[in-house]
Amino acid sequence: MLINSVIIILREVLEAALIISVLLAVSQKLQLSKQWLVAALIAGLIGAAVYAINLKMVSMAFEGSGQEIINANLHLLIYGFIFFLVAILKGKPYHRLTLLAMTSCVAVASIREGSEIIIYIHGFFAIPDLFLPVIIGSIIGMGIGISVGVLFYYLIVNMSFNNGIRLVLFLLILIAGGMIIQATQLLIQADIISSQLPLWDSSSIIDERSLFGQLLYALIGYESTPTATQVYCYITSLILMTFIANRTLKRFKLSHAS
Amino acid sequence: MIKVPYFSFALMMTISIPLVAAPIIEIEIRDHLFYPSEIEIPANTKVKLIIINQDATAEEFESYELNREKVIPGNSKGIIFIGPLPAGDYPFFGEFFPKTAQGKVIVK
Repeated sequence: MLINSVIIILREVLEAALIISVLLAVSQKLQLSKQWLVAALIAGLIGAAVYAINLKMVSMAFEGSGQEIINANLHLLIYGFIFFLVAILKGKPYHRLTLLAMTSCVAVASIREGSEIIIYIHGFFAIPDLFLPVIIGSIIGMGIGISVGVLFYYLIVNMSFNNGIRLVLFLLILIAGGMIIQATQLLIQADIISSQLPLWDSSSIIDERSLFGQLLYALIGYESTPTATQVYCYITSLILMTFIANRTLKRFKLSHAS
Repeated sequence: MIKVPYFSFALMMTISIPLVAAPIIEIEIRDHLFYPSEIEIPANTKVKLIIINQDATAEEFESYELNREKVIPGNSKGIIFIGPLPAGDYPFFGEFFPKTAQGKVIVK
């Protein structure tokens, strides 16, 4: 049970930790205050609790597909905020908007990942024998997830300004793609987007269950058996985000000649 | 500017128009076990799974092979569409209680 808890919580925390570390590194690079994170996490945790409490009702909504619809929209919202952030990531006049985009992004990501953690742990309140191992496992999983985030943060922060921003934009493009692939997956599961046979099966090369597979899932939304719709949406998202990121990068080079 | 991703995403979406209702299969969760634990479905057909959780605790229906993942709250139910799929075995499990909650979709 302990190992299982480690893996479940790690998966949830890893995604949020990656987003948070990249956005914190942005704050560091732009010399913005990092206080927004506290507001984002508080808002996110309250939202996650409200969502978790109402999960039964949500599940029954939209003919039993309420969860998929809400979760897909949360992923699309995160995508929208990342897109907005990448588009406005430039000089001082935009710092307020940058902070707003980062706060919203982390708050929504915390709702999505936090609600699943609350639902999981809450179930074990009723099973006292398993409660302690689950809590210990969850803390370990959380610790590993946060550590990976810290690693990414220092990796970016220790780079030169231009390289750091390049890596940030690159990671945001990938994370945004992951959001799109998860949203499409949920909409297929709810039969809102028509499902198709998978385009390929790469599970023998990279298993989604492996640690590397999990990291790839959190980072680029890796799926071993994606459908054509998912691949199409993913590639469109990558092209769109790369285009916007390139424009942002050009502006940066003008304002920070180095 | 902000509208662009939503707009393009909406364009990319192909909303499905169900011509024939998908066959329905019910799976119950009791004491962290799936009943039935093995279900058989035809190949290349979309199927609607209704997962009924009789336990007080939540469970997460999960399958890497089916590419599906959904939390089913305690004493509640959830709907998951699977397929069309090529013939083969597709294991699924309850992520919260994986030791006992194991099952398989057999596509023929």
